[in-house]
Amino acid sequence: MNMPELSFDRTWSDSFSSRLSQNGPWSNWNLFRLALQAEQHLVINDFDGLEAPKHLPHLSIFPHQLEAAERVLTEMNGKAILADEVGLGKTIEAGLILKEYMIRGLVKKVLILVPASLVTQWCSELNSKFFIPAVEQRKSYVWESCDVIVSSIDTAKREPHRSVIYEQDYDMIIIDEAHKLKNKNTKNYQFVRGLKKKFCLLLTATPVQNKLSEVFHLISILKPGHLGNEEGFTKEFKDADQHEELRQLVQKVMIRNRRSDSAMDWPKRIVKTVEIEFSDEEMELYNAVTALKRRWNKTHEWSIFPFTVLTLQRECCSSREAVYMTLKGLLEQEEMAPALKTELEGIMEMVQNVTRHAKAEKALEMVQKIDDKVIIFTEYRATQLYLQWYFAQHGIKAVPFRGGFKRSKKDWMKQLFKDRAQVLIATEAGGEGINLQFCHHMINYDLPWNPMRIEQRIGRIHRLGQEQDVNIYNFSVQNTVEDHILRTLYQKIGLFEEVIGKLDDILEKMREEELETHISNILNHSESDGEVRIKLENLTACIESGNEEVESRAAGGRA
Amino acid sequence: MLQEDVHKYLKTFFDENDSPVLEESPGHLHIQLSVDMDKALMNRPFYWQYLEKIGGVPNPWKMTVVTDENAAPEDINKRYERKAEAIHFGSPRLHQVFNLTKELGSHVRMYEKVARNNLSVQSLPLQPWLNMNMKISYEAEKKRDRLFSVGLCLTNGEMIEGFYNHLKFYPLEPEIPDYCFTVSPLIRPVSGVERIREQTERLIRQENHTWAEEAFAKMREDIELLRGFYSDSEELPDSYHSEKEAIERQYSPVVTISVINGGLFYLHQHPLNVKRFRQHW
Repeated sequence: MNMPELSFDRTWSDSFSSRLSQNGPWSNWNLFRLALQAEQHLVINDFDGLEAPKHLPHLSIFPHQLEAAERVLTEMNGKAILADEVGLGKTIEAGLILKEYMIRGLVKKVLILVPASLVTQWCSELNSKFFIPAVEQRKSYVWESCDVIVSSIDTAKREPHRSVIYEQDYDMIIIDEAHKLKNKNTKNYQFVRGLKKKFCLLLTATPVQNKLSEVFHLISILKPGHLGNEEGFTKEFKDADQHEELRQLVQKVMIRNRRSDSAMDWPKRIVKTVEIEFSDEEMELYNAVTALKRRWNKTHEWSIFPFTVLTLQRECCSSREAVYMTLKGLLEQEEMAPALKTELEGIMEMVQNVTRHAKAEKALEMVQKIDDKVIIFTEYRATQLYLQWYFAQHGIKAVPFRGGFKRSKKDWMKQLFKDRAQVLIATEAGGEGINLQFCHHMINYDLPWNPMRIEQRIGRIHRLGQEQDVNIYNFSVQNTVEDHILRTLYQKIGLFEEVIGKLDDILEKMREEELETHISNILNHSESDGEVRIKLENLTACIESGNEEVESRAAGGRA
Repeated sequence: MLQEDVHKYLKTFFDENDSPVLEESPGHLHIQLSVDMDKALMNRPFYWQYLEKIGGVPNPWKMTVVTDENAAPEDINKRYERKAEAIHFGSPRLHQVFNLTKELGSHVRMYEKVARNNLSVQSLPLQPWLNMNMKISYEAEKKRDRLFSVGLCLTNGEMIEGFYNHLKFYPLEPEIPDYCFTVSPLIRPVSGVERIREQTERLIRQENHTWAEEAFAKMREDIELLRGFYSDSEELPDSYHSEKEAIERQYSPVVTISVINGGLFYLHQHPLNVKRFRQHW
């Protein structure tokens, strides 16, 4: 017979006997009654259901968030991967779950690990939206003295913090951007794996189904053994046939809401392609770079460099500054074939002769026309700096945003953008986790070749809390690699369109890095534009057939 | 808890704690805090320390709470010297007040206010009863609670469940009324506490504990999985043991009994026969 342990708290009886022997002091009867009244309001009669919403009357919680919180509590025993698509409010879900556990008295000691840039934001949201007294880790003594702490993994894993943290018995661990913990050999992974915890929430926007080893390692943080041991797992799930079984296992610990499923009225995404024509000098430069490919790309002289012509081509489309930086690096190499060196020097000269920049001009024109906040994404730091300078020349205030900024600087930049500047220029690494719902215009100055990253960019402004339609302008220079990608691939698969959730289907068919590699290969190894187009069309068809498969599977499941 | 309940609760609370309400609307209360309430709620220990050192005249703050924005005066944010605080069920301030109430209302000794209509009658006996109001929590990876109120007659050992429901109909006062005497207990109050504890535990043991069985089953399942995770290693590593411990911590079912408050009640009428008049509170 399994009896629960019984425990009687003697605090009251001890002080009762001391009051008996000292003949008081005795409490006021009305306060006695009030105390019972308070308890009657606080008592929670059911194991299931959510109390937290009653405590949070000012917070608007969406149905999918309530449902997620309830499932984590009742079906998942407080161990879950929250993998909603970008912008659906995973933080709110996590806060709701944490609040519920705290109200019920099941959780007291909490460690929240988030990217450095998000520490402040998490803290202020937990305090202001959930009345959870979360504290930013600033001094080392907080680990022991405070109950709810927000920190970055990078800080937490270092001594002297690490050993103190390992001594704590946490009731709950929350990890934001958990997809970064996919490699079990990293220090971060091992640190997290070693934390003692009762409940655990992992937040990620990246669907994980198809990256087998990553799924395994992520779930091993949550619930080691859920997918067996590593060797068995690798053997068993080698073939695609078993994926359905794996999917079901994963679904037991993962919640993934998609925008297309949620019953909300989303602001529209208005996507426009802005075609740009190179100036003559730019076209000349681009052609010279392209010509390199034919002569050098497959030769040994070139292959020793970690750059491809493709990189240079993409940089040409972004800014001459970006090309310049790469070329400069190349020319500093010592073991370069003299013929190649001469040619590169020739190109360098062309770079310096470029005076007009068609894309930047277009960007300036658009920013002036929009006359509202605009966020511009570029892949290259050189472009970022150039644009900031260029805008300043024309009296437009722009602030930069990069992944490498310190936490406080990121907060500061975001605030500057909100209050003072019209434009925020962000590089890729700066994309994650900043929420800019107050902005409704985004320019993709150049495009990443990883659709997940595009979705993350858009998710900065197209998210819960965005009240207006969102305008996305994709810049593309005519007759260049950019043109191919945008027109033949992204537009055909409907990447930017309202029909969201498509990204999942693509990624279910193909790993995100895989898609990137395919694209690079096609562009690198094709002899002519025609060939590029045909190959990209094949890739598109392949992705689309994936969709049908997914759809028919979903339909079959419903029948 | 409705906002009106919050309003009523706070009003009673401050009234009972020598902190008079200076101004009130259906949506707000403006209160002159007593020294004790200022110390308990305003979080300014340095001021009080300083004042005690120099022996100055205490100047406790006034506090304004808003329970319904729409029913409060429009100038509520400028009306008083200090900022008004919006209070609702989830706000930390209300929970601070709840906790303070529990501290201040933990132990009572009360006497039934006997209405004597015939002076010729001899002194009236008052029976001693021990009351304990408890919160019983059933906790594993989930948790629920229930309130349980018991009264024990210290002269004959009679025990009544749901005691508070009877108690609230008594007119009570803190001093023994004239022409009454208390019957001396045969059971010492401290042993009474033990009796109530034993009886409560006995009742809990007899309950249906499917929830605990389920928790044990989940625990076994998770430990089984954990073992599988390490099935390749010849000797189970330290991490296995600490993870197993965490799983046990998560699921181990435990029932905790904590006493919210309680005390001694000297009653003339038997609780089951008490006249049920409508309370004015």
